[in-house]
Amino acid sequence: MKRHTVIRAAVVTAVALAALTAGATAASKKPNLVLWTIQRTENAVETKAAKTYKPANVKVQIFANDPFKQKIKIALGSGNPPDMFMNWGGGGLRQYVNAHKVLDLTPYLNADKAWKNRFFNNVLQTAAFNGKYYGIPNVGMQPVLLFYNKAVFRAHSLTPPKTWADLLSVVKSLKSAGVTPFILGGQSKWPDLMWEEYLVDRVGGPEAFNAIAAGKKDAWLNPDVIKANTMLQQLVDAGAFGSNFSSTTYDGTVTATLLGTGKGAMELMGNWEYGAVLQNAPDLIKNNDLGWMNFPSVSGGKGNAKDIAGNTSNFYSIAKKSKNPAAAVAYLKKQIMSKTYVKGLIALGNIPPVKGIASQLTTGSNAAFTTWCYKLVNSAPNFQHSWDQVLSPNAANSLLSGLDQLLLKQITPEQFSAAMNKAK
Amino acid sequence: MRADRKRMGASPLLALPALGLFAIFALAPMIVVVVLSFTNYNGISSPHYTGLANWSRFLHDSTTHHAIWISLEIMVLSWLIQTPIALLLGVFISGRQRYRSVLAAVYFVPLLFSAAAIGITWKNLLDPNFGLLANLTHRLHMSWFPVSWLGNPGLALYMIIFIIAWQFIPFHMLLYQAGARQIPHSIYEAAEIDGAGRVRQFLRITLPLLRNTIVTSSVLILVGSLTYFDLVFIVTGGGPGFATRLLPLDMYINGFERTDMGYASAISVVLVAAALTLSLLLIRITGFGRFRSSHEGA
Amino acid sequence: MRRLFHLNIPGALAGLVWFAIVALPVYWMVVTSLRNQAGYLTADPLVPGKPTSAQYHRVIQVGFLSYLRNSSVVTFSVVLMVLVFALMAAYGIVRGRGWIASGTFRLFLLGLAIPLQAAIIPIFFIVNKLHLYDTLPALIFPTAAFSLPIAVLILVNFLRDVPAELYEAMKIDGASEWQMLWKLATPLSRPALLTVGIFTALGAWNGFLFPLVLTQSTSTRVLPFALYDFQTQFGINVPAVLAAIVLTTLPVFALYLLGRRQLLTGMTAGFSR
Repeated sequence: MKRHTVIRAAVVTAVALAALTAGATAASKKPNLVLWTIQRTENAVETKAAKTYKPANVKVQIFANDPFKQKIKIALGSGNPPDMFMNWGGGGLRQYVNAHKVLDLTPYLNADKAWKNRFFNNVLQTAAFNGKYYGIPNVGMQPVLLFYNKAVFRAHSLTPPKTWADLLSVVKSLKSAGVTPFILGGQSKWPDLMWEEYLVDRVGGPEAFNAIAAGKKDAWLNPDVIKANTMLQQLVDAGAFGSNFSSTTYDGTVTATLLGTGKGAMELMGNWEYGAVLQNAPDLIKNNDLGWMNFPSVSGGKGNAKDIAGNTSNFYSIAKKSKNPAAAVAYLKKQIMSKTYVKGLIALGNIPPVKGIASQLTTGSNAAFTTWCYKLVNSAPNFQHSWDQVLSPNAANSLLSGLDQLLLKQITPEQFSAAMNKAK
Repeated sequence: MRADRKRMGASPLLALPALGLFAIFALAPMIVVVVLSFTNYNGISSPHYTGLANWSRFLHDSTTHHAIWISLEIMVLSWLIQTPIALLLGVFISGRQRYRSVLAAVYFVPLLFSAAAIGITWKNLLDPNFGLLANLTHRLHMSWFPVSWLGNPGLALYMIIFIIAWQFIPFHMLLYQAGARQIPHSIYEAAEIDGAGRVRQFLRITLPLLRNTIVTSSVLILVGSLTYFDLVFIVTGGGPGFATRLLPLDMYINGFERTDMGYASAISVVLVAAALTLSLLLIRITGFGRFRSSHEGA
Repeated sequence: MRRLFHLNIPGALAGLVWFAIVALPVYWMVVTSLRNQAGYLTADPLVPGKPTSAQYHRVIQVGFLSYLRNSSVVTFSVVLMVLVFALMAAYGIVRGRGWIASGTFRLFLLGLAIPLQAAIIPIFFIVNKLHLYDTLPALIFPTAAFSLPIAVLILVNFLRDVPAELYEAMKIDGASEWQMLWKLATPLSRPALLTVGIFTALGAWNGFLFPLVLTQSTSTRVLPFALYDFQTQFGINVPAVLAAIVLTTLPVFALYLLGRRQLLTGMTAGFSR
């Protein structure tokens, strides 16, 4: 009796093992893809696209913003890169392209005109070098706006500032009422950059930074740049950023909460902050108390008050050393900016750089915001891409450190310009 | 011949695995770092030779010089803060009273946490918007007390030194407790009979007999604070500005954030040289290195 | 009677002050970890609210157990490697003769002074060359290597106390050096091995710099680095971050409760004289 049971158990086990291994080998026929992205409100859309994709196992790895910038560089250089990775285009992507780490997507895009025509061309250009395309957009267009808490303004009988003079007087009133005028994630440094970009544009026009980006001699010593930084330090002196800005990190939750709870009145941040407020301080939007506007104008400045700064978009690129480049291309083509993907983005207040979605933007729960942003981007004479993504990584690094010191009043605008002029 | 080999004792080959591992991952890196300091290496492409470029930069880079200064400040201040507190409290808890061992059980709790855990806890505790310190000073109406320590370039370093002290004083307390426990009670009783007060007993008996422990503890503090990294990286990342950028942090930032690993290697070489020199110097001065067979140890 | 008059008032006061400085952050950590996020933003930080284990669940949900597994694998491997290698080396040093034995000892003594931080760039370079980047062995080998000097030091000190007669007795019975190592030296070294084991395990468990530089993906992530990542992942949800810290510290805390003296002796391994 016992022997039969043993044999039966053995047969069952063998069959089960065979079935399992068959299943495993069948499963292993599916390619495995790894995608790296940064932590942000859009992660939900990104992970959903990966989970619902049947032809391959796509694993999404999420990193915090600043460590990501280092990790991706090392990963691309180490011979063990992720198949697909997020980037901001511009100078950051260019260094990888020049080091031959990124797959040229031009042949794939040209072979499928429908795919290529899905996107706005000027957005694709941010990830294109020497006429070749190296990335496709994976989130909406990201202008930087001035968000404000309407309830706080009402409580102090103030109106949102349309000009620089207005801004200074609003700051003064809020300060004396004990409210932090502007929330700033100074410890992360790159939020400082948004102020720099707008001030230099308003005072010196787009030509000021274009000269810097083109590497023109002494472009940093432009008196408009120095004037902009003087105004920036003026703000610091007026207490516009409160006393805690240099220990406040931007991580997608803290600043939105501060704005939502009225601890600060305004925040200059990318339009993704709308999604962050949705997640962390939803009541503010529910009560219709989240306001948004363009950066104030500066009288006598060369810049147009409609100019904007920000990221044209973020991109997914494919690593050249990927073991499954064809599978990666297929994934990007099918899932990114598909109808579902676009819908998911719009639900977060994004404006995807995709043609033919204007009607979707004017309906939906975030219509007021998305329509306004869309109009803003379309009517902006100049859309300045983030400086730290245009410049070389080392220059960008010096820029951020310099801004940090500028805001801490450790250096003067002249010293800042001199240092940036020397940085490579 | 056989007899000779037997007299040789254990085969030195026994040390080979340890030596091999140590050679590849600790000794070889020392040579590699010197070589890398003469190259330009960004972690992606291969290093290429640049001669003395990194070293000449080292002589002129004001950020690195500032980092050296910060490291020295931390070394001195850490010793000045940690040693008296650890010494006095260590001796205090070596006493046999019941309540002292209860206190001791709590004193050693920080030892259980990793540097990461301690850094993150304090960073949140000190958050100027939502943290414990902000909340307490607000409720106790102490508006004169600074709330934004980690964001203030003038205060950040002192707060870092405090947190490091919070982390390591328990360790040194252990050392002093063990040292004080070895002093025979009879010496104190004799002094008591001679009419010596508590302070006198401490200065004339405890301190001199703790000399070895003081030396050990001091060597560990000084050499340790030269190479300190984890907690500062997590709490301030070297900021605000450059206020807490110690030398190891300057090395990391140059190497892994600016990906200038050649220059970072030069800084590393200086770190090794400084650590080695300091260790050898202290060992020579204090005679710490003479290890004799003793009954303590383990 | 004389005991009563030894009441040390200033000492007791100082002791209580330090008690508060130590206990307050730890108390805050535990109490906050049992709140939910909304509670954290509004409640009095020192008064415990209605405790909820939601944050602990959250932390476990985001992969805490796999990080725990990685940390355990790394720590176990490092301790095993260090104990075996260091014991063999210490035995060879103590029982060996000639310049190789004393030279090896001097080498490890010197190795004590090599700072880990200064070696990470070349180690990064070497690990890449060995194609070990972003693997657990990339953490295990360097950590073990840097734990060797102190381990060898302690074991050499200890083995030097073993009387030569014991070895002679075994030799007469025909034992080889190899057998004496495992049959005699190892059991005798138990206390020292325990000390070395605890010291090495704590260093491996809490190591941060090597994971920061030598790993990148979540499949090789260990606890200290996970904590650092949780800080950004949970952002304003401070209770969740603190819950992660409490969870990470639980194993060490359990050891503290079970064998406080052993643990503390291990921590100060060989530094107390």
